Amino acid sequence: MRAAPDSGEAAHVWAVGGQVQGVGFRPFVYRLAQRFRLNGWVRNRSGHVDIFTQGNAQALVAFGEALFTEAPPLAQPQLLASDPAPCRPLAGFTILASEEGGKTAARLPPDMPVCDDCLRELHDPAGRRYRYPFINCTQCGPRYTIIARLPYDRPHTTLAGFPLCADCRREYEDPRDRRFHAQPLACPRCGPQLTFSVPGEPPLAETATALAAVVAALRAGVVVAVKGVGGYHLLCDAQQTAAVERLRQTKPRPHKPLAVMYPPDAGLARLRRDVWLTGEEEARLRDSARPIVLAAKRPAAALSPAIAPGVNDIGVLLPYSPLHHLLLEDFGGPLVATSGNIGGEPVLTANGDAERRLGRVAGAFLHHNRPIQRPADDSVYRVIAGAARPLRLGRGVAPLELTLPFERARPLLAVGGHLKNTLALAWGRRVVISPHIGDLDTVRGRETFVQTAADLQALYGVRAEAVACDAHPGYAATRWAKDSGLPMVSVWHHFAHASALAGEYPEIGEWLVFTWDGAGYGADGALWGGEALLGAPRRWRRAATFRPFFLPGGERAAREPWRSGAALAWEAGLTWDGLPEGGALLHDAWRRRVNCSRTSAVGRLFDAAAALAGLLREASFEGQGGMWLEAACGSEAAPIALPLGKNGAGAWQSDWSPLLPLLLDSGRAVGEKAAIFHASLAYALLAQARAARREHPIDAVGLSGGVFQNRRLTEQAAGLLAADGFSVRLARRLPCNDGGLCFGQLIEAGNG
Amino acid sequence: MDDTRISLAHGNGGRFMRELIENVFARHFANPLLDVQADAAVLPPVAGELMMTTDGFTVQPLEFPGGDIGALAVHGTVNDLAVAGARPLYLSLGAIIEEGLDIAQLERIAASIAAAAQAAGVRIVAGDTKVVGRGEGGGLYLAATGVGVRESAVALGMARIQPGDAVLVSGPVGDHGVAVMLAREQFGLRGAVRSDAASVYPLTAAVSAMDGLRFMRDPTRGGLATVAHEISRAGGWELRLRQADIPVRAAVRTVCDMLGYDPLYLACEGRVVAVIDAAQAETALAAWRRLPQGQGAARIGSVRQGPARVVLETGCGGERLLDELEDDPLPRIC
Repeated sequence: MRAAPDSGEAAHVWAVGGQVQGVGFRPFVYRLAQRFRLNGWVRNRSGHVDIFTQGNAQALVAFGEALFTEAPPLAQPQLLASDPAPCRPLAGFTILASEEGGKTAARLPPDMPVCDDCLRELHDPAGRRYRYPFINCTQCGPRYTIIARLPYDRPHTTLAGFPLCADCRREYEDPRDRRFHAQPLACPRCGPQLTFSVPGEPPLAETATALAAVVAALRAGVVVAVKGVGGYHLLCDAQQTAAVERLRQTKPRPHKPLAVMYPPDAGLARLRRDVWLTGEEEARLRDSARPIVLAAKRPAAALSPAIAPGVNDIGVLLPYSPLHHLLLEDFGGPLVATSGNIGGEPVLTANGDAERRLGRVAGAFLHHNRPIQRPADDSVYRVIAGAARPLRLGRGVAPLELTLPFERARPLLAVGGHLKNTLALAWGRRVVISPHIGDLDTVRGRETFVQTAADLQALYGVRAEAVACDAHPGYAATRWAKDSGLPMVSVWHHFAHASALAGEYPEIGEWLVFTWDGAGYGADGALWGGEALLGAPRRWRRAATFRPFFLPGGERAAREPWRSGAALAWEAGLTWDGLPEGGALLHDAWRRRVNCSRTSAVGRLFDAAAALAGLLREASFEGQGGMWLEAACGSEAAPIALPLGKNGAGAWQSDWSPLLPLLLDSGRAVGEKAAIFHASLAYALLAQARAARREHPIDAVGLSGGVFQNRRLTEQAAGLLAADGFSVRLARRLPCNDGGLCFGQLIEAGNG
Repeated sequence: MDDTRISLAHGNGGRFMRELIENVFARHFANPLLDVQADAAVLPPVAGELMMTTDGFTVQPLEFPGGDIGALAVHGTVNDLAVAGARPLYLSLGAIIEEGLDIAQLERIAASIAAAAQAAGVRIVAGDTKVVGRGEGGGLYLAATGVGVRESAVALGMARIQPGDAVLVSGPVGDHGVAVMLAREQFGLRGAVRSDAASVYPLTAAVSAMDGLRFMRDPTRGGLATVAHEISRAGGWELRLRQADIPVRAAVRTVCDMLGYDPLYLACEGRVVAVIDAAQAETALAAWRRLPQGQGAARIGSVRQGPARVVLETGCGGERLLDELEDDPLPRIC
């Protein structure tokens, strides 16, 4: 019995929410209580942590501060409640068993890179986890990709099949140990192991031997499929052109840039030899997501030229799992690290699938026996206009939780776009956005979509009572939404792009958002993609657009930029000698509008410019025309003014036709054409914004849609707008491409 | 009045109509069972189960390389009987003619009907004509009913399909769809591709005695992909098709590549898709390949346990889903 007021004793209760589970928060509270000599208990409870402390009144105050200022790096505690309480008879401080309640407050943590403490142990020859590729603790290791269901306890993860040995059990149960309740805890004795296999040969199932075999294979120029955290990578020596070419030919992936993973030396010396790294880029490269960051390649980069043909940036990343650390350290040089998949499907995760599907690409496999519950591809960022912008949400970032600017009465699932698909689940004021799923035309894309939709709802204990989807009736996600039988909110593609941005800046009431992309189904039945939308979520109207043209050959136009080039030339009444054989038939079809869609998409203008300027005729990946045109740009150039007038529907319309003589002029260099094209579009954007401002009070201008992944255009447009007094907004948390559509769809759906 | 064109008088029951029937239809269709004076045809007794089908034909243009609406009406009706396992015997034909149709064209089509019927071994035993006013019809519509007798060893049907079965197609796909589209739009390439319109009875007869045969269908509207979806949906099967094994003529491929069409969704009028016990697939293929119409026959895929979907295995290890055809497909990925 210690409750004596005159001794200065007091008691206090705290409820702490936010990111506090699966991140070592309770052991931290325990240690803190020991330090301040407080009695009491801490307990996980339906998504938050309850703490009862009793002791010296001043110590209680200090404890309350330290809870937030000294929290573990991964924890993001938010104070939910803090109240004095009556003193009780108590001795010592204990961690009480979790109380399972409603799951809806729980958080699903993303996967974490190996922490410094574990890295030290990884390299300590005296330690029992020396060079053990699955070392982890409460501050690091896999989460999203191993959790089968919540609450987050080992039996609910893919480690369930690995009973802890006595040593690991002791760490797991010791509140003073940083592995206290580290659910993926493992050691060489009781945890997962590596297996190296070459088809047709007996596998090497011993971890150290397997690691040595992988490094030898990579040195010999073999493409190796390596199972990591969220799926398989295809790795090969980034300096051996023959190896890189073989990977490109067999995958097949003829041109799309390949990411390169660098050894983790302290100063990133090897990395800096190949790319220029700004402070912002370096910070993002090192942050807890360890994403791929696009950085400018140095002319003297010691890399195969086949890594990223046609572009100036390469995607670089650092090792994040202990396995990747060991691999890169042992190999000692940069490795191509591209997703182990075929086409735009989600990255492969199962050992058998990898062998079956990647057999023609990979000469060897490095498997492990820790199952991956669901895929998470690497995240991708690019620094644009001063900040790192996500181009793809994946491992380490997603599931991404955001707060809604309104309270949703009924839980809603927003199912996103057709390519680069992501999903969002919203309930109350919470939104959880899935990692990148991919192309829904692929079998694996469709299966992962269905699994992720089910998993998000099951993990958070939230059942969607409505769905939001794109208005395009042919999107697989839209068909799925229809088949779900739930009330459906259908959202125009570009309204979703505008609202995804607006949802990141709820404080802004009135917008002009430029939604420029490759094309989406528009409200007038045409393919939009060059629209400026005025208003705010749920009340967008088209303020400006581009002169429409007819795109021949349906979806093939997305893969064949020459079609966009031909379409502009025909529309302008010019002849273009770049048509392939059979082009006359297409011209006939174009005249009769057979399988030709009307479009105003800027993405297709980029394709057309790339084709007319002679850069490329066919694209082997989405956005290649725009990327190659951006990379081709010479120094800054004076724009060509694009005439601006009102169209029949009362919207401002820019005419691209003055660009054609330039693009077709054989006397001018591609670099000059590309630079003038970018400048002209940036000035056309400014002209549209000014015209709209003459009619409406506009301050905030947003740039959303895949075209704004183009740094040259975006930075020039943003600079012009800012200089003209507009305040410019770009997406910060979500990709501006179709990966952000799901969030925009649920903002459009509103609170119903 | 212009006596080279159909007028409303050709449908009024009077002399013009009698002359039209006698001079155009009866003359070409003449056979012992066709009595233009009678209200109903008398057919001799048949041993076996009768099978019957009916269909309407509205193709534009009325004539195209490799066929016309008349031949299509005969083949379409005959083929529905044939893939069901029947030997086609008799046809009835109803013609709805638009005022202003060139009588010479009607004669050509009637001759084509007669030739197609003869080639298919069926007799036209009943008919009817109506004339509608200008602008009320597409020149000529035909309605046909066919009667046949069942020949197959078993009652074919989608319910017989088993996992592990093989999927066969009797020849290249998409010919008819491309031929008609080129003709309709009067493209310069007109004639580069001919419709495959033909009776498939020789093909179906060649395999109908096989006890491992499960199901046959002629992939008309919506093409091979649509038949695949029908099979998949009926039993909840996964259908796997290997893109590299699906026969497509080079000329069809070229036109489709240029105009942005997928030949798997384009109509055929002389092909058969068959599902058969995998153990008998090669025998059936060999039987088809011995026929002039079946030389391009190929084994293109297999049936698996669900989920119900149609998977196209592409050349480089890709696995894409073939979705059901949209009414008006809009580009999704531009």
